[in-house]
Amino acid sequence: MLFTLAFRNLWRNRRRTLLTLSAMVASAALLILALGVFSGMFRDMLASATEQYYGHLVLAKTEYHERRDMFAHLDEEVASRYITAEDTEIIGISPRLRSFGLISLAETSQPVELLGVIPEREKQVTSLQTKLIAGNYPSEAVNNGALIGQGLARKLKVSTGDEMVFVTQAADGSIGNDLLIITGIFATGDSRHDNNLVLAPLGWAQKIMVLPGRIHEVAMTLADPMLAALTADRLNPRLPDDVEILDWGDLLPEMREVIAAYDVSRMIIVSILYMATGLGILNTFFMSVMERTREFGILMAQGMRPWTIRGLVLLETCLLGGIALAIGLTCGAVMTLYMQQVGIDLAGYITPVTYAGGTILPRLHAVFEAGNFYVPAGMLLLVSLIAGFLPANRAARLDPVQAVREV
Amino acid sequence: MDLVRLSWKNIWRNRRRTIITLTAIAFSIMLVQALHNLSFGVYAGMVDSGVRAGSGHIAVYRNNYLESRDETLYFKDGSLVDDISQINGVEQVLPRLYIPALAQSSRESRGVMLIGVDPDRERQVNPFLKTLPADGMIRSTDSRDAVVGTRLLHELQIRPGQKFVVTAQNEDGTLHSELLRVRGVVNSGMKDIDSSLILVGLGRATQLTGNSGSVHELAVILADAGLEATVHRQIAAQFAQGQDILAVSWEEAMPNLANAIKLDYASQKFIFMIILLIVAIGVINTLLMSVMERMREFGVILAMGSRPMTLRCMIMLEAVILGLLAAAIGTVLGSLATWYLVAVGIDLADLVPETLEFGGVVFDPVMRASWDPAWMLRIAVYVVCLTLLAAAYPAIKAGRTTPVEGMRHH
Amino acid sequence: MKTIRIARILSTLILSAIILLAVRPSFALDVEALVRQVEQQYMGASSRAQTTMLVKTSHWERSLEMEAWSLDRDYFLVRIIEPAKERDVATLKRFREVWNYLPKVDRVIKVPPSMMGGSWMGSHITNDDLVKANHIEKDYNLRLIEETDTYFLVECLPKADAAVVWGKIVYRINKTPQVPEQIDYYDEEMVRVREIHFDDVQQIGDRIVPMRLTVLPLEKPDEQTILHYRELVFDLPLDENYFSLRNLKKR
Repeated sequence: MLFTLAFRNLWRNRRRTLLTLSAMVASAALLILALGVFSGMFRDMLASATEQYYGHLVLAKTEYHERRDMFAHLDEEVASRYITAEDTEIIGISPRLRSFGLISLAETSQPVELLGVIPEREKQVTSLQTKLIAGNYPSEAVNNGALIGQGLARKLKVSTGDEMVFVTQAADGSIGNDLLIITGIFATGDSRHDNNLVLAPLGWAQKIMVLPGRIHEVAMTLADPMLAALTADRLNPRLPDDVEILDWGDLLPEMREVIAAYDVSRMIIVSILYMATGLGILNTFFMSVMERTREFGILMAQGMRPWTIRGLVLLETCLLGGIALAIGLTCGAVMTLYMQQVGIDLAGYITPVTYAGGTILPRLHAVFEAGNFYVPAGMLLLVSLIAGFLPANRAARLDPVQAVREV
Repeated sequence: MDLVRLSWKNIWRNRRRTIITLTAIAFSIMLVQALHNLSFGVYAGMVDSGVRAGSGHIAVYRNNYLESRDETLYFKDGSLVDDISQINGVEQVLPRLYIPALAQSSRESRGVMLIGVDPDRERQVNPFLKTLPADGMIRSTDSRDAVVGTRLLHELQIRPGQKFVVTAQNEDGTLHSELLRVRGVVNSGMKDIDSSLILVGLGRATQLTGNSGSVHELAVILADAGLEATVHRQIAAQFAQGQDILAVSWEEAMPNLANAIKLDYASQKFIFMIILLIVAIGVINTLLMSVMERMREFGVILAMGSRPMTLRCMIMLEAVILGLLAAAIGTVLGSLATWYLVAVGIDLADLVPETLEFGGVVFDPVMRASWDPAWMLRIAVYVVCLTLLAAAYPAIKAGRTTPVEGMRHH
Repeated sequence: MKTIRIARILSTLILSAIILLAVRPSFALDVEALVRQVEQQYMGASSRAQTTMLVKTSHWERSLEMEAWSLDRDYFLVRIIEPAKERDVATLKRFREVWNYLPKVDRVIKVPPSMMGGSWMGSHITNDDLVKANHIEKDYNLRLIEETDTYFLVECLPKADAAVVWGKIVYRINKTPQVPEQIDYYDEEMVRVREIHFDDVQQIGDRIVPMRLTVLPLEKPDEQTILHYRELVFDLPLDENYFSLRNLKKR
């Protein structure tokens, strides 16, 4: 019964209800959008660091990463032994062989890092194929085709189709050397990759290094990069003592620090956003209930109990809050969708930014994260409840005559 | 100006609502201003550390050394260092020579980038050298002292005080070696720096390459970053004709830092827009409510012969006054908050480990604000305009009522 | 690390051989003067050698057969003969520049300064060793520290500001026949880091030369490089034109 009354009360003063509702909806939707953009920036940072080169998880011999010792190699089938189809959170697996050597052309030689990969598998883990500025990604078809960075191409003054020699120390002590043909050139904006990195087919690399059937590491991608540490913890016990899986936090400690700092500033801004939204809602709701003090006074004069008043307002608040929530969340979702698919392009204004092992592209966009929806929703409800309850409580405690007197 | 007085009185008729609205607006202004000033301060700090660790506020290069890093693009600095130091606003001029070389100890060898510097000048400015003890720095430009990054030292398997040999390509194409001794160790916490940094005296460096009196870079540090444009011009004027050297600003020389700031700033602007929008919604709401419930009253006023325009003006005035009041209070609060953040700041040291990298530069764990009064004023003005805009719809609505309609309203 | 210089070894052999032929052991041995004299005598010497190099590291072991030519201390050309997989891989040194020829890709690679520290052909000899002409008397002060009936012990301490990584080098030179037996390399803290042993002493023309050297990096006890001269000929009619990039590529 109270419920029907509450509902009717809302629509009695349609104008007020609609105003309050619109305020709440708009604020909530905007808040959700802002949070989405923040998540977007954060994801970008993380993606740029991990998806260009490292992957989210890396399986290798313990201590391999410190010195990158060429002799710390593994069987190329090692991943299939420990990672099964049931590990569904892993969506990409790429075995790699790493070699440090010289790329030579005429009188110039440049020290480089060469990664022997299986192109189709590597594409699932890193995203260099989206950063091509010339030519194509290496494929199985061309067994000595290589992908090099823009900085390197410039220094050597080469372009696609050119041949170059790669020289390195092979695992049997001989000088490993062979020709590579440049099939493509990439540009990430990060000079560490652009000036240094060469991708070549795994078979070719294994041959030149005299390490048939061997690899140095297995890079993996996850559906949710934030689960990397947990997944690593889950998988590590399966592995023998001399092999381990590291997550991106281990590989890029500087990125972890940046994320921590970013989280702090994000928290500050998000608190401000919540405060602003909360205040707005508080303002609107508070006023609209306050102004009914007289009405409550009359009701109490007619015999309505104070707790009924409170209950009534609570119900109204919940109803209104609920409706506002529903619409607000939808609007927020729609706007986030737009920002996710389209975003705002700042490329004319700034170039890619490199920090802590990652590169951020100059584009504002958003991602969907559950937390960006249910937390604002919860807050919205909470604030509305407080905003509605306080004045109602106050009114309920007043003497009916006093209440009626209020304007 | 009875209308003004009337508007003022109208606002305070519903004290509670007005106060709540004022608080909401003022508070938002305070937060936005404080946060902006905080970022402003933090960015300025980042730029300062960045230019001191990097190529200065203004850097002088020959031709396109900046992009190509071609060792053959050195130039004779002659009296430039002294001449530029004389310019008003210049704190320090750092001459530098960058030499790709091989560093060898009795056990290991590594490819390195040797940097020849003027030790006294460099010591005063370079933040990586701040942690060096008094006797940990290179003693003179000709000495065989070297300052080495801690990881590099470890890789070469040597300790402070021990010797090592560097070999580089001389001007005439031959290889030349010099003996150096580790005088100080840099432990910045950043892997890149610690595993590649070697500093030697400029004189010793030119011995290695055979081009004495030459440098690759002059990094100019300003005492007042605001004077950058003027100093830039004055520096450019120093160059003799046909000398093929030019001055670049730090935004060009360190685009990473400049863009990191711009990106952060852009996302901040976006967020501020959203905050102000949220506030605006609240304001429109309030004004609309206040107008709607006075419709009856307006009907009466109109019936008594007032013009619709007067009514509109009154409502607009109410909004303006509300806006101005909120802006004033908000700015005062914002100033107080800024004052606190300038004096005390936010210490991240507890939340975050000591060294951070952002845009390639060491991040100071204490975030301090810096006054940007122009911006604060602009925000205040925006808010007032916003309130005015917010009042437009209610005002129009009020003005359009006829007396009869109004009086019938409830 | 592994550092030994082929040219240096050759001239050390010659140097020591000549010292021993020219000087009678006495307490008033003026080592410096001798060295200077020997240097001048050494100018113009050329050689050709057939060598076998055996390299053992903790990961692999391999054996190379090479042919090498040298002129003074400034020119050096070596070509691999065996194994077949590496046949015709060659290294050329002219003064302080080094090139490698790789027949598989038919390319000449110039070795940049930053790679000079890298090992040559995988051995405990580095490119840098090849390049740094041994000016031992230029960079070190030589001093006789011990003499017995069978050997001399010559200590070489680096001169102030000499661009060398060692703290001390000690030569043990046999008296009869007068050939070096062992060279010890110490770091700055007088920790012995490397040893080179000489044996298989033979007479080549009018010189007495140890035909086998063994390089031992002391901090990796299971690693070594053994260079064995199968054939050694001195004073050939070679001139610097022989040491050209064209010859580097010749098979």
